[in-house]
Formats: sequence, structure tokens, C-alpha cells
Amino acid sequence: MKKIYLSNNIPVILKENKETPRTAVCFYYKITKPEEKAGEYSLISRLLSQGTKTRSAEELAQELDENAIECFSEMKQDYIRIKALCLNEDVEKCLDLMADMALNSTLEDIEKEKIKLKGEIQAELDSPRAKAVDAYYRNIYQGHVYGNTFSKILEDIDSIGFEEIKSLYGCLLDDSAKVISVAGDFEEEKITELLNRYFKEAKNGQEKESQITVPVLSENKFVKLAKDDASQAQILMGWHFPPIFSEDYPAILLLNTILGASGLSSRLFVELRDKKGLAYVVRSGYETFEKSANFSVYIATEPKNIRTSLEMFNVELEKIKNIPVSEQELENAKKNLLGKREFILETNLQQASQIGFYEDKGLGCDFEEKLVEKIKNVSIKEIQKAADNYIKDPHVLVVLAPSKYLEI
Amino acid sequence: MENIVKKEIKYPFLTRPVEVYERENGHKIVLAHKDGGLVNVSTWVKTGSINEDDKINGISHFLEHLMFKGTSKHPAGYFDKTLEAKGAIVNAATWKDYTFYYVTLPKGENNENLNLAIELHADMMLDPILPENELGPEFDLNDTTVKEKRERHVVIEEIRMREDQPWTKVYNAANNAMYTNHPYKRDVIGHASTIASVPRDTIMDYYKKHYTPNNMTTIVVGDFDHNEILERVVREFDFKGRENFENPKFEIDRPAGETKYVENTAQINTGFVIIGYLGEVACAIRENIGLEMAAIILGEGQSSRLFKNLIERAKEPVFNIVSADFYSFRDGSNLFVQANFDAAKKNEAIELLKEEIRKVVEDGIDEKEFEKAKKRLKVNFAQDAETVSDIGETIGYYMTVCNNLELVEEYLEELEKFSMDDFNDVVKKYLPVKNAVISVLMPE
Repeated sequence: MKKIYLSNNIPVILKENKETPRTAVCFYYKITKPEEKAGEYSLISRLLSQGTKTRSAEELAQELDENAIECFSEMKQDYIRIKALCLNEDVEKCLDLMADMALNSTLEDIEKEKIKLKGEIQAELDSPRAKAVDAYYRNIYQGHVYGNTFSKILEDIDSIGFEEIKSLYGCLLDDSAKVISVAGDFEEEKITELLNRYFKEAKNGQEKESQITVPVLSENKFVKLAKDDASQAQILMGWHFPPIFSEDYPAILLLNTILGASGLSSRLFVELRDKKGLAYVVRSGYETFEKSANFSVYIATEPKNIRTSLEMFNVELEKIKNIPVSEQELENAKKNLLGKREFILETNLQQASQIGFYEDKGLGCDFEEKLVEKIKNVSIKEIQKAADNYIKDPHVLVVLAPSKYLEI
Repeated sequence: MENIVKKEIKYPFLTRPVEVYERENGHKIVLAHKDGGLVNVSTWVKTGSINEDDKINGISHFLEHLMFKGTSKHPAGYFDKTLEAKGAIVNAATWKDYTFYYVTLPKGENNENLNLAIELHADMMLDPILPENELGPEFDLNDTTVKEKRERHVVIEEIRMREDQPWTKVYNAANNAMYTNHPYKRDVIGHASTIASVPRDTIMDYYKKHYTPNNMTTIVVGDFDHNEILERVVREFDFKGRENFENPKFEIDRPAGETKYVENTAQINTGFVIIGYLGEVACAIRENIGLEMAAIILGEGQSSRLFKNLIERAKEPVFNIVSADFYSFRDGSNLFVQANFDAAKKNEAIELLKEEIRKVVEDGIDEKEFEKAKKRLKVNFAQDAETVSDIGETIGYYMTVCNNLELVEEYLEELEKFSMDDFNDVVKKYLPVKNAVISVLMPE
């Protein structure tokens, strides 16, 4: 892996993987200004592929699909990322199209894009799980941009105008710090020349510090969602946790692995699924953003099992807070987590996304190697400390079920 | 070592040929090379809902769950816990034609983890004991006093989960209407009442009948010494003279010749539709290439006909989501056009979709669309060669559903010479509207 800089000072992380057929490229814009209305950045992200100064949306789509280039942009809480994947022989075409999308979007199709986004959200919210997840994020980050979920976007989107979007896009182009990452079978000299050629108009903004505030959760919340034809209850419970920059990050990853993310052998899986037959899906999750993270436990179960499931969650959470995990369980969790990390970084696209993400966060593209070493050194005490420090009120509990089961 | 027949297959985008071995008892072993520290071990069994009837619908999938519940040597949970503690992803899947079990993990120093994975995987495949206490007692679904909830309940929860998914609901209704007699008409996961009451012995009998050497292919993908791993797989997969079983043949369903329409309701806010067509058997490469191309041209990506004409150029919004997919099965492929739409515009939505399909069938496509779809099909092989798991899955599909990995080579040759005339022949034969099944899910 190597870090270079383009002539405009944009950092590029190169990861060479010989004899792989497709090259992956990622382009990151750091989001530092909070959006005022939910959906502003989502619209910008979508509009990047909806026409540039020289190509219409249809022409862009046509050129991408003709060359079997997968190129799409996605908006996450603190960045917009364009991901592209192409056969090695098509890399120049891919960079040409990607740079055009990133730097020359006209944003003109905003009204059409608003209609499309609203439609897609309405379809998505017909899924009970999506509805519960939406309520969870909206409540755990209420009043904060991290809580700008699908349902909030539906409320705000009609009031978003072209000028607001244009101004925000201008800030991204001029002020935002940028990162490019490439993984695949390439020649360094050639790829550097191509990146310098196609991204020469890009400006690496100086704005690296985010103006997004740290979200606060000040009280417990219990959100009940009625869906009378639901066969299963959706239960999601979560807490604010420290983000990736915390020294507790490796311990939290292991805590998550032990509790509910190791696959078929985690505590929640064994106790609630294998031994009690309460669910097909039961797990814990940890998701980190720049200013906050959240840790959650989730189960989908027959509605009459809601109370039992909550009691069982409580038993497992208290256990991990109060009883030290054994040496063996910690050792197993470390190997499980490290093996999984190899698995989720197997493809060029996964690798390009990861190294770009670390660089964007200011952690350095070699963060993964450092993290692996830190994971190996986490102690039993650190796991217990993380559980005890962070799994505590206030929390958010979301339950979706037929109305008669919501009187808990 | 016993007498084993070896073939080499040139597999696209892999740096070395794939080796296919057939043992005297019919068990197949496939070894594929991919650089890197991860390995994938899987076994594909030629059974799924195709071998079920109404009485045992869902048994293949239930058995898949129970295979993880211990062997004579190791108790339930040992397999998952031991391998996950080595960094493994372990899981399994059941579909119409097959059930497969896999382990993906770092191979370890001196192949330590790989060797352990092969040993435990073979033990699980050949000696499951399906303990009564892990299944849980048989019960009546209406009995709310059941206390002992074990794997039967886990599978019933999986069924419940699917009942809440609108796409699954509309797909199941389409799938059911597309077939008249063929077992494909049943939902792979089965019914809760069957899972609650099927006796353990029925499941064990099903296992013994179908998990035979000739019905199983074991695949290992990664960077390892092929001779050493071949010997190990042969040694660990000791079938102890288990008798073979030849899968029954079924009469293949053909389109009814008149459009079928089914409609259901749910507590939702938007409308869902799937238009389904029956295609040709999996080994009919030419026909399947034509239908795969039709799915790409109709509904893959933002340059597809459905996206361009029904979303991008729509004067008034009707659709929220449009796409098309192609699935290949032993006894016939499926092409699906699917969409989510404004529920107030149901009739308009269906007519618009039918019209887009009609235009492909009757008016044809242009050269650019044709070349785009061809390139996409070639690139799919590159995509499938990127991870050890994807390589294992593609090989497993060809070995199990098509009975033959050489079809990969034939596929690429056929794709090279596939012409616009071929395309027009295929879509005219399979995609006229009279062959369509239209399944709709509407708000209550």
C-alpha cells in the first residue's frame, strides 16, 4: 500500500493486487457542514449520476453500462463516496466518467430526483424491519443530522430547493477535504497519470474539522409502532457508544463479537435462538459515525415473545457487564473477529472502500494493521469496562408489533 | 488411493485450471486455485424443494438447520464454535435444486485451519444425528402452552419473517401460479404446520435417501497443495459403502398459453408486482443466454429500458422501483420483471410493464443494447472470480444444477457466437404476454 498526492494535493491510497480482473476506485468528499433539511446530501449524492455539464443522465448511464462499469455514489452520515468497479482494461473510461460525475454535476434534475427518492422511501418503509430501524435512528439521534432517516426525509424533502443544493454542492467542491483510493492490478505510474488528468480540476479543501455536533441522548425512550398484520415483532434496543477514534474501539468490537456478532456462536444466538427457539434473527450491532456511534441488540420474534425476549436481552446484558468473560471466550472472539475482517476485505472494492474510509477519517490508511494489533492485546477487564461504561441508560427501545401486543 | 477420474476445466478469470475429480462411488471433488489467505470448503447436495411433496414441504430446509446439531463425535454447537473461533464464516442454504453447506476461513499456518474445516465439515455432512432435544417435541401450532422451543421454532420464526416481506409474498404467489404440477411450485421454506409436526425419523429417512455419494460435490477453493487436499477430502469423506440414489425426473411445466393474474393484499402503502415467465432447462445454454440478456436489457442498471422509460422519462410518476432478474433451475429457468408502484395506478402500471416487454419481443433491440448485455454477461464471470466463496458457489451451481462444470467453457463459446437473430428467436418463443404470470400485492 502506498500514499501519494495528486498535483492538486488530493491524497491517493494505492493498493496493488496483482492478477485480479477488476480495479476498484473510491472518491470521498468529507461532509463537515450539517444539512439543514433532511435529505439535502442524499439528493446531492443521487444527483451526481443525473447529468453533468457534458453528459445527460441517460448518456452517463449508457456509457457506464456499455462498459460494464459499476459506478454509484452513496451518502453516509459524514461523507459522500463514489465507488467504481471496472475491468482493468476499462480503467481510463471509468476514471473519466467518475471524475465527471464527481466534479461536474449540474443538479438540474432535482425535482425529478425528489419524486424518485420519495417513491423509493415509501416502498422501503413497507418493510416492518426498515420501519423499526428508521424509528430507532430517528429517536436515538433525535434533533441531530444522524437522525435524518427516511421518514424525516419524507417530511423535509418538498421544501428543499435547487439553490440550497447548489450551494451545498459548491461547498463540497471547494471546501471539502477529499480522498481517492484504488485497489487492483495497475501500474502505479499509469494510474497516477490518469488520476492527475481526470481529477485535475478537483480542489482539496482545507475543511477537515466537522461542524457537526456531538449528539446527546438525555432520557430513555420507548417507541411503539403498531402493525396489525405483522407476523413478527421487531425489537431494537440501543445506546450511544464512543466512535472509532476512542481507545475503547477494539474492546467494543470484541464486546459486539461476543455478545451477538460472531455468527452462530455468539451469546445472543446461542441463548435466545438455539436454546429458546425465540428467533431466526437475533444479533447485536455497532455502527460508528464521526461524532458518535451506537450499539444495539435486535430480535425479530413472534409477538407473544416480546416480554421474554426483553427479559433475555436483559439477562445477557447484565451478564456481560458483571461477569468477566473467560480467557477462552476472549481468545475465540479475537480469532473470530480477525478472520471476519479478512473476509470483509477480500475484494478490491472492499479494500478500496476501507482504506479510503480510514484516510477520510484521519486515521491513516494503515489503520487496519494497527487495529489488528490492538485487538490482539485487548484484555478481559477492558471488555467488561466497555460493557459497564457504555451499556447503561439512557437507551432507546423500539418495538413494532400488532397493537394488542404493544401494551407491555 | 482409490481410482479417481480427473478432468481440468479452463475457468474464466482464474489463474489455473479447475480440477474436477470423480470417485468410484460417484462423489465429486473440485479444487480451484485462488491466491490469498482465505479458503472456502463447501459441499453441495442435489436435493431441495424439488424432492418434496405437500406432506414434507420444507423438509430439505429444516434438515439444513438440523445438520448443525451435532454428530456421533461432536455435540451440537461444537462445529460452529470451533470454526468460528478460527475466524470462520459458517452457514448453509437451501434452494429448489440444491442444499449447500460452507465454511470460509483463513487457512492458518501449515493449513491448520483448512484441515480442521475439512475434517469437521465431512463429519457434519456424513454423520448428523439430529437429536430429538435439539429439534424440540412435535406440537400443534394452535397450542399456546408449548414450553420447549427449539429448532422447530427457529424455522417457524424464519417462515414468519418471510411472511412480513412484501417482495417475498408477491414472489411466492407468482411462483405458485407459474407451475401446474412441478414441485418448483412450492415455497422452499415450507409451512409452519409441517415444521411443527414432521417426525425426526421422517427427516432422518430423507437425509439417508438424498445425501448419497453421487448426489454430493465437495469443493475447496484457495491457495493449497492440490494432491494433499484431495487425499484429505477423500479420506475424510468416507461414505462407508452408502448406497446411491438417482433423483427422480419430473414432467417439465410449460407456459399455459394464456396470461394468469393473481392478486393479494397486505397492510402496506405501495403496490408490488412481479411478472414471471418460464424459460428453458439449466443446461440449455443458448436459450438461457437469450433470457439473461433480456433481463439485463429490460431491467439491469440505469440504462435499462424499464428504468429509462418508466422512471426517468415518466411524465407522471407511476413507479418507485423497477428491475428484472433471471434465475436458472435444473428443470427450467425463470425471468421476472418486478416493480413497486403507486397503488392508485395499478392498471396503468401493469399495462406499462407489459408494453415494455412487448416492445422487446416484437420490435427487437438495438445493437448497443445487445453488445452491452453481452459484455455484462462476460464481466459477471470476473465478478464471480473475486472471492473464494463466489468461486465455490459458481462451481457448485454448475456441478449440481447442470451436472457439468464444462458448461462454463461452453457458455463462453456460445456467448461469443450468440447473434441478434438468436436473441430474437428466444424472446419471441418465451416472452410473449400470453406466457406471463402477473402477481400483484396491494394495500388492504
